[in-house]
Amino acid sequence: MKRNYQLIEHTADIGMKVKGRDLESLFVNAAKAMFEIIAQRKSTSKSKSTTVRIKQNADSIDELFINWLNELLSLSDARGLIFFDFKIKSIDTVSINADVFGNTAAQYRLKSEIKAATYHQLNLKKTDSSWVAEVIFDV
Amino acid sequence: MSEIWQGSLEKIDECRFRIPQSYKAGMRVPGIIYTDEKLLKDIRQDKSLEQVANVAFLPGIVKASLAMPDIHWGYGFPIGGVAATDVENEGVISPGGVGFDINCGVRLVKTDLTYDDIKNRIKDLAARLFSDVPAGVGSRGDIRVSAREEKEILVKGACWAVEKGFGIEEDLECTEENGAMAGADPGAVSDRAYERGKAQSGTLGSGNHFLEIQVIDQLYDAGVCDALGLFEGQVTVMIHSGSRGLGYQICDDYVRNMVHCLQKYNIKVPDRQLACAPVDSPEGKSYLGAMRCAANYAWANRQCLMHLTRLAFEKVLGKHWEKLGMRLIYDVAHNIAKIETHTVDGKEKKVCVHRKGATRAFAPGHPALPERYKKTGQPVIIPGDMGRNSYLLVGTQKAMDETFGSTCHGAGRVKSRTEATRTVDVNVLLKGLAAKGITVLASGKGTIAEEAPEAYKDVNDVVKVAHNAGIAKRVCRMRPLGVIKG
Repeated sequence: MKRNYQLIEHTADIGMKVKGRDLESLFVNAAKAMFEIIAQRKSTSKSKSTTVRIKQNADSIDELFINWLNELLSLSDARGLIFFDFKIKSIDTVSINADVFGNTAAQYRLKSEIKAATYHQLNLKKTDSSWVAEVIFDV
Repeated sequence: MSEIWQGSLEKIDECRFRIPQSYKAGMRVPGIIYTDEKLLKDIRQDKSLEQVANVAFLPGIVKASLAMPDIHWGYGFPIGGVAATDVENEGVISPGGVGFDINCGVRLVKTDLTYDDIKNRIKDLAARLFSDVPAGVGSRGDIRVSAREEKEILVKGACWAVEKGFGIEEDLECTEENGAMAGADPGAVSDRAYERGKAQSGTLGSGNHFLEIQVIDQLYDAGVCDALGLFEGQVTVMIHSGSRGLGYQICDDYVRNMVHCLQKYNIKVPDRQLACAPVDSPEGKSYLGAMRCAANYAWANRQCLMHLTRLAFEKVLGKHWEKLGMRLIYDVAHNIAKIETHTVDGKEKKVCVHRKGATRAFAPGHPALPERYKKTGQPVIIPGDMGRNSYLLVGTQKAMDETFGSTCHGAGRVKSRTEATRTVDVNVLLKGLAAKGITVLASGKGTIAEEAPEAYKDVNDVVKVAHNAGIAKRVCRMRPLGVIKG
């Protein structure tokens, strides 16, 4: 599968650079990339997934991005789910409303534990044709 | 990796370097790095020295932004960073100065066994530990607790585990803070944090967390070794873990909150991961209360892990753990913030000491130490990597005078996880370790590559600087025999 992100070298942790044609796809791609770092599906057989609704508000787009990723990590750990699909119902620079779909962690080979997304060297920017984000995770 | 750090650095002596306060406008104190020329070459390769300078911006910081010899690049604070803020003079507390894995720490257990006693049973012991101690990403344990009991853990810490029969009173005496910090406030902990903590008591976790069977291979201070009942050839066990998802959630909750405090309290820091609030503010007090809960959870966790370890040894060796002499030497936190009294500019001050990848190293006679360590100083446990060594040291008066009673916490990474994964052949590594008599069992091969010895600085070099600088004193060295990784 083609990766939609690049890893950023960091001595103790892991960083990633991810793109999206708009804000919605940036947030979806970042979430997908994060769970690709965490886990790999063991089998492709269809199974019933769990849907979780996420609503986040923030004071800035940076904050919204970090809150979105950390909320996903938190729910994943608390519920034992690996999220694989993300349907954003509405998004602007300070709020997001999404349905996210997860399978039980038992269906995956767990590769890395990500403790959290951090503000350290966080860089979100809009270019002419896309959005780009760089983020460092605590692993 | 990144560019070589070109900032301003002055050599004070063979073990100390200074980033002058003038390096960056906004620094309230200088940065002091405990290192030598050899280690400095690697330190300059990443952004950790810039982070030392950034920490010097924290309101109320006193003396210096300090870095221990295992300093490396973190997020916000450097790993190996120590910063004390004046509680009575607008000093702040920063969740990023503790980290997501609150009270990640390490404990050392001695045994009456010698290497010769177990040299043919190391694989059996490692296999039993691997099967009986839950480890790995998102690991869940058999020790399940109700919501009411979880609250009890957050207040009682390791004492909860001992009351449940997972240890003895002596274990508490040999744990920093007796295994429970006072002032824990379960009401300051979110429902999500409770949810994440529920199934993870008595689990090792993953990443750099480990359980290791070791043998003492060198004594440095015969007097202290005698006092602690340690001898060459003696088998020890080291356990490294933290507060798991509960701690991560508490840090996340309070970073979210404190990012807004920067504006509220007009605090200027160069990195939002240094988000903070005055210790005496409602936000600061609330974080301290929650952080102490996570710290207590971590001590309960390591107590449970030690209990499972003792039982695994019993099963393999057919003797009760007390008959095997499996006594706890000490348990130390290395990601924590503590309100302590220290002498600053000749005056006693109440300060909030952040230790982010640093170990408390209190001197002989310190009132916080149990009677058994009053003469020796506080045991300081320094894990290395899976192929080289780990150390036991003791705290010193010099650490009290210079580093708020703190020293290093490990070897410190030198290679990123991605670089290690790219360059390490796990099969070759395991073969090499086996040739050195080291058995490694891990939940995944990826962890072994990430945690390969070459990804770390040589702990022998790091400890040498701590010892030579006088911020801890070498007692003995261990080498690994059996390693369990998450």
